[in-house]
Amino acid sequence: MLPEIGHFSLLISLVFSVCLAIFPLIGAQKKIVEFVALAKPLVYANFTLLSVAFFCLSWAFYHNDFSVTYVAMNSNSDLPWYYRLSAVWGAHEGSLLLWVWILSLWTAGVAFFSSSLDDDDVARVLAVMGFIAIGFLAFVIFTSNPFERTFPMFPIDGRDLNPLLQDVGLIIHPPMLYMGYVGFSVAFAFAVAALIGGKLDATWARWSRPWTLSAWGFLTAGITLGSWWAYYELGWGGWWFWDPVENASFMPWLAGTALIHSLAVTEKRGAFKSWTVLLAISAFSLSLLGTFLVRSGILVSVHAFASDPTRGLFILVYLLIVIGGALTLYAWRADKVVSTHRYKLFSREVLLFVNNVLLVAALVVVLLGTLLPLVHKEIGLGSISIGAPFFDSVSSIWFIPFIIALSIGPFVRWKQDRFSRIKTKLFVGAVPAAIVAITCYLMLQINTFFSLLGVVLATWLAALVVYELITSGKKNPLPLSHWGMSLGHLGFAALVIGIAITKVASVDKSVRISPGQSVTVNNYEFKFTAVEQFEGPNYSAYHALFDVSNGSDSFSLKAEKRYYKMHSNVMTEAGIDPGLWRDIYISLGEQLDGDAWAVTANVKPFVRWIWLGGVLMVLGSIMCILDKRYRKILSWRAQRQPSEAGPVESVSANKVIEQKVKFE
Amino acid sequence: MKNYKLLIPIVAFLLVSIFLYKGLYSDPTNIENANLAKPFPEFQLADLMDENRLYSKADLLGEYTLINVWGTWCVTCRVELPFMTQLRQQGVKIVGVYYDNAAEAAFGELDVRQTRREVTEMLAQLGNPFQFNIYDEKRDLSLDLGVTGAPESFLIDDKGTIIAHRRGAIDHRVWQNEFAPLLPNNHGSNLSEQQK
Amino acid sequence: MNKSIITLISLGLTFISCFVYAVEESYPFDDVQQQKIFGELVEELRCPKCQNQNIADSNAMVAIDLKNKTYELVKQGQSKDQVIDFMVQRYGQFVHYDPPINMVTIWLWLVPIAIALILVVFVLKKGRREKLGSEVDANSLDQAQAIIDKLESKGKS
Repeated sequence: MLPEIGHFSLLISLVFSVCLAIFPLIGAQKKIVEFVALAKPLVYANFTLLSVAFFCLSWAFYHNDFSVTYVAMNSNSDLPWYYRLSAVWGAHEGSLLLWVWILSLWTAGVAFFSSSLDDDDVARVLAVMGFIAIGFLAFVIFTSNPFERTFPMFPIDGRDLNPLLQDVGLIIHPPMLYMGYVGFSVAFAFAVAALIGGKLDATWARWSRPWTLSAWGFLTAGITLGSWWAYYELGWGGWWFWDPVENASFMPWLAGTALIHSLAVTEKRGAFKSWTVLLAISAFSLSLLGTFLVRSGILVSVHAFASDPTRGLFILVYLLIVIGGALTLYAWRADKVVSTHRYKLFSREVLLFVNNVLLVAALVVVLLGTLLPLVHKEIGLGSISIGAPFFDSVSSIWFIPFIIALSIGPFVRWKQDRFSRIKTKLFVGAVPAAIVAITCYLMLQINTFFSLLGVVLATWLAALVVYELITSGKKNPLPLSHWGMSLGHLGFAALVIGIAITKVASVDKSVRISPGQSVTVNNYEFKFTAVEQFEGPNYSAYHALFDVSNGSDSFSLKAEKRYYKMHSNVMTEAGIDPGLWRDIYISLGEQLDGDAWAVTANVKPFVRWIWLGGVLMVLGSIMCILDKRYRKILSWRAQRQPSEAGPVESVSANKVIEQKVKFE
Repeated sequence: MKNYKLLIPIVAFLLVSIFLYKGLYSDPTNIENANLAKPFPEFQLADLMDENRLYSKADLLGEYTLINVWGTWCVTCRVELPFMTQLRQQGVKIVGVYYDNAAEAAFGELDVRQTRREVTEMLAQLGNPFQFNIYDEKRDLSLDLGVTGAPESFLIDDKGTIIAHRRGAIDHRVWQNEFAPLLPNNHGSNLSEQQK
Repeated sequence: MNKSIITLISLGLTFISCFVYAVEESYPFDDVQQQKIFGELVEELRCPKCQNQNIADSNAMVAIDLKNKTYELVKQGQSKDQVIDFMVQRYGQFVHYDPPINMVTIWLWLVPIAIALILVVFVLKKGRREKLGSEVDANSLDQAQAIIDKLESKGKS
């Protein structure tokens, strides 16, 4: 019964979304108050319906209802309950339902926190989000229904969840990632609504900012989790492979990063308006493109869902309508957006724009690198692969100007500044950078030019961020968003240091080894003590036990090889001793003749800094969102009290009205 | 519209969409073999059934030959054996390259006998399309041919140039569309589809 | 099918000489330089049968064959480019993760650079052209905007 209720909820929600996309928009354009007033109730109803649908599917998983095809395909009664629940988003259909539910969550969030905004504007934003929901709901209902039954015959037990996904990292990774992807729909809806309504002012930017920041924070968290998961679960110790699906999540991240910086300029200075709108459209469009790439099977990837051209075609048509529509609207209306703000060549505006240019260039590299193999093949030149060697060499050049602009930016004043004023400040970072570089060179044998440069520039950046915090914090207490920004930049520095060092200084040794023997890697002695057999709930495994020591430090590690019966899959669970300065990583390979095993022992200095960087960025975004001025905007009906306008303010108010008139 | 640069994003997006659409209907795992239109590589390998009988490239020349890379361990190979046997009856020269499983190669002499038994058994059961089988024990020939697994098939002309290649099983449709038209006397074009 | 995969995986490394009970590196080298080349190669060569993995990370039979071949060639003293050429000749450009530069792939470099240059020129021109006007400070503009919003919402409620 429950699956039918879930299915029915989806259908009603589709109808509601269609209403949401049509009536409030007409209401806002034609000034029909009743239509505008429909928006919020529809949004809340949608959220409730989709929550019901999501609950029904979760219930079916929890209670092992294998009469539901999707449950039978992706779960098993041997699975522990938490994996049964996370199996809801373990494959195509359910993960789409999660996508749609998260969209309704964001939409409800916008509806709830927008009381201080103009009702017409909110109605437009919600209508755009309703329009986005239509496509995905139709996609779920017509091509990927998770509630389909296997009647009249159904299996006694399910086929089990893909063993790769039976992991804590995978319980939280997809929801985080989707929160990020879908979260950009808010900025997208704000941008499109502004283009439709013809109102694009500082309020618009200020409103988009916290939403964009939270979506960006979620996406950062999602990508970081995914990278960390790949590191410990795939068993080869890699943390980023430039796989098409990774790229698909990286592109919206790059666009989103550019967007949060560009929004800052638009909010504070009223500049780059048209550019910001384009970025807001791009960030969500790239999320949709990513969804298409992952689900259409168009690219070869380790993570891709099962391919199906019909589904691919459906999403492609949807992309054409949503992205194509938004970009057409942009081409048509954006030249009416005038940025009146003036700035000089050396100003924070220009530095932030340089940062944007570099991010967009990086985005284009990733986009081309992902899609060009397809083009290359389609025009008859044969298959090519674009992977780590290409992307690594591009990024090693790219980060240099980026990190320089990033370091200088916060010191430079808005509107205009002189380089001579900040020149001396920039030397502050030079000393720590030099010390760190020499230490790295001597201690870690980091001797390639780009890694040393990476460490030097990142240390310089970190030192400048700290210096800037101290000096500007002296005069008056810094707002939370300032701390957030600094934390985010420190995160980037940590990320660069982590990548630069771990790329060059990691040492690994692949050996055949039997219990009782030991092998030495980089001063660490790995003693293979024993192999044990182990029976898990739905797998059997070998545990290989190691004693590791380097004289001062000694500990035991357990590397594991699991065999999942249902999928007849072999999974590697690496044995990892994490540390801030180095990870010890053992992965168990194949059983060889006799009692020997193939084992790879790794020492990976600073690898944890990569995820530390991600965590710092997420914390930074949280601090920015918690900043007082957003809380004031977001607080429910807080802005409704009347206030007196002073004489000076009223002059500028006229200016704004003038600006608006010009725009309309 | 005055401002043409605002059109750039939408134009770029539409361009990308064209390729996305085309990509939907092309299989990304279908990669063209790099040896196509090149001469068949030189080799010196023994017969699968008789280690004293050696073959080289010369044994493949003189007539259009279908080279089939296969193994008893490979399920898809079983599927195509009956059809290939029909082809042989139609007069197509088919030579097998036995692609050994890594597992079997490791145990040496004894295992070759085991493999031979399996091969004899399987060919007796499903039909024997092969004039002879080359035993690619270390998979060196397969590597030179750019083989990624079994089954794979190559069609070579009388001078030993590779003129067609197929990854995966050959069935009636594939033969009809991709191989038969290349043969001088269009062998096997009148085969029925009964084995499907 | 499944069975064969398991055997493949479980026997992936059995080519190492059997029945010698000592800790042995899977691919021992005497020459540090060769070891480095080998390490780079197995990361840059793509397993032609797998979803998207390099031959270092894959246990597919063909990946193991390619790894062994790479080892053999590097041991013979061939350079990195020679080994790549060898593989590309047999498995096509697909096997190397770094694409060759041709009429299509050159755009991988040109397009981002062009976009960056155009945008930079655009903002520089704008920044130079604009003289600081006598307009009202943006902060007060913001405040004004906030006031307008308040007034508007007040007007409605």
